[in-house]
Amino acid sequence: MAKTVLIVDDHPSFRASARRMLEADGYEVVGEAEDGGAALVAAQQLRPELVLLDVRLPDVDGFEVAKRLLDASGPAPQIVLISSHDSADLGEAVGASGARGFVPKSELSAEAIALLIR
Amino acid sequence: MTRPRRPLIGLAVFAFVIGIGTFLVVINGGHNTHRGAYAGLTLAIGWGFTGTGLYVWRRRPGNNIGPLMTAVGFSGFLKALAFSNDSVVFTIGSLGEVLIYAVLVHLLLSFPSGRLESRLDRLLVAVGYFNTIVIQLAAFVFADPAKEGCALCPANPLLITHSHAARVMSAAQLDIAVALLGAVVAVLYRRWRGGTPSQGRAFAPVVAVGSLTFVVLMTALIAEQADLSSNVAYVLSLALFGSIACLPVAFLLGLLRSRFSQAEAISSLVGQIGGGGGRGALREALAEALGDPSLQVAYWVPDQGAYVDTEGRPMRLDPPPEGKIATTIEHEGRRVAAIVHAAELEERRELVRTVGAAAAMTLRNERLDAELRAKVTELQASRYRIVQAGYEQRRRLERDLHDGAQQRLMALGINLRLVRDLIAREPEQAVELLGASLHELGEATAELRELARGIHPAVLTNRGLEAAIKGLASRSPVPVEVLETPEDRLPSSIESAVYFVVAEALTNAARYARAHRVTVSVVRHNGNVHVEVSDDGVGGADVEHGSGLRGLQDRVAALEGRLELASAAGEGTVLRARIPCG
Repeated sequence: MAKTVLIVDDHPSFRASARRMLEADGYEVVGEAEDGGAALVAAQQLRPELVLLDVRLPDVDGFEVAKRLLDASGPAPQIVLISSHDSADLGEAVGASGARGFVPKSELSAEAIALLIR
Repeated sequence: MTRPRRPLIGLAVFAFVIGIGTFLVVINGGHNTHRGAYAGLTLAIGWGFTGTGLYVWRRRPGNNIGPLMTAVGFSGFLKALAFSNDSVVFTIGSLGEVLIYAVLVHLLLSFPSGRLESRLDRLLVAVGYFNTIVIQLAAFVFADPAKEGCALCPANPLLITHSHAARVMSAAQLDIAVALLGAVVAVLYRRWRGGTPSQGRAFAPVVAVGSLTFVVLMTALIAEQADLSSNVAYVLSLALFGSIACLPVAFLLGLLRSRFSQAEAISSLVGQIGGGGGRGALREALAEALGDPSLQVAYWVPDQGAYVDTEGRPMRLDPPPEGKIATTIEHEGRRVAAIVHAAELEERRELVRTVGAAAAMTLRNERLDAELRAKVTELQASRYRIVQAGYEQRRRLERDLHDGAQQRLMALGINLRLVRDLIAREPEQAVELLGASLHELGEATAELRELARGIHPAVLTNRGLEAAIKGLASRSPVPVEVLETPEDRLPSSIESAVYFVVAEALTNAARYARAHRVTVSVVRHNGNVHVEVSDDGVGGADVEHGSGLRGLQDRVAALEGRLELASAAGEGTVLRARIPCG
């Protein structure tokens, strides 16, 4: 069965490309959210198995969203953080967030995600 | 201020006639002893006070001291009517017998400004009038002069019934009077000690004779309660009237002294400012010369069109602070400074100007000093703002790049990797994806171009102001008419400043002003570049609010130029810049 995904990013053309890439690799994209607040609501309703989560969002930052997703009741999704910054800019915050890992947007591919969530 | 000359002459004639009349009343009074002495003192007090009072009234029409002194003189005449044999005149005189003391209290507490400055002063004066008018009348209607030991006095037509109440009220009246006079003497003493030395010297005669009068009056009142022999009472009342009669002389002396001390103050001022003494010394000297410790000096800075204090901080004098007046000081026909002084000095503005003129040279030098300090303060502030604006600009740039072109390029990367994977298996889908990617690339390029133009427009460097401004005009959502632009190239820093002035004005016209039409003109004239952008929008723009205009102001000021904004609500907005250009 295909893995369900929620894409969280404030930029529509990036969300569109990510959706195309994931669907081409057999994922089922069940929803998109453009900020942290919408992401928490969507995750509660859609119960995705995977959340592709941008670090820099207009309202709260991605690390905070990750923490709240993992703290919420019910089965917690797997989280992969993405950003246009590279991992050196983000430091230890990725490890502390409880996410499966981090992929720079410039290197984002289905294989890179598969390596983290397997 | 007009001088009420005619009515004053009328009052003087009236005082003269009434003086003769009361003199005759006293000299013929059938129920008093020592009539000759009292008649003489009545004239001395009445004419002394009315004469001096009317003189002061004429010289200082805005000051209450003149009218109050005149009132003391007339209440002296009123008091003397109690000597009359006629029952009605006697009654009027008896009712007004002690009014003179309340007016004296009023006069002394008002000296020298003519106003009752404190709440305590006003309270004391009110108690005085109440005691001498209301209680006097209340006691009088229960007092039959015949039963009070004055067999020769005429009848009291206001008598209701003779009652013990009259005695009780008179005793209360005496106690109140003694307490009141004690308080007034204390207030006068404190005021005399609290003034500047020159004020103190002017107050001294008035405070001394005034206090002496009140102390004698207190003694006489206490003696009256003690029922001493009539000889002691006579001596005390002679002393009392004698010292009241001296008061006008004391007032004149005080006024004379204050005039002498003005001359001295100017010479001491000139001496002091000659000796230097650093920042603030001039203010001290002026404060001493004008007897106003709270005096401030505001220096005029023509460049800013504003006043600054000694430290170069802006001072607003329009309107001046509460209770203050600003007197402008000029030197060789040019505004140099303003002396901000207590409103009490209003009627002596001439003196303020005279003293200011004596200090004008020094004021001019200190003005240059203050102007320099104002400039330094402004430079420091603008330097901080420029650094801050640079930081803000970089932050905005990073955000614009991140949110715009960078996101599109990331998406493009994902698409292209997908195309690479798909191209062998599903060539049709790959071609479709390539189309989307090309669109994304176009968008990214456009955003980068826009961003680069915001940093520095290449068209300005390559083709000059005219092309750059026309480019701005063509991209503006509001129709723009470019009236004039200079034909020759200008130094690049000036071209750049002009460009951003126009760009900001056009952005504001479209975004906030709801304008329908904008005109732009850039003219080179007399070594300056004049930029003017005007719109027909809603107006109401303000440099203080909105970092865009503030930043422009700094940018223009950095080139020694000036930015002006005229934007009354409902009347459109005109942004003008003048930048020196060799």
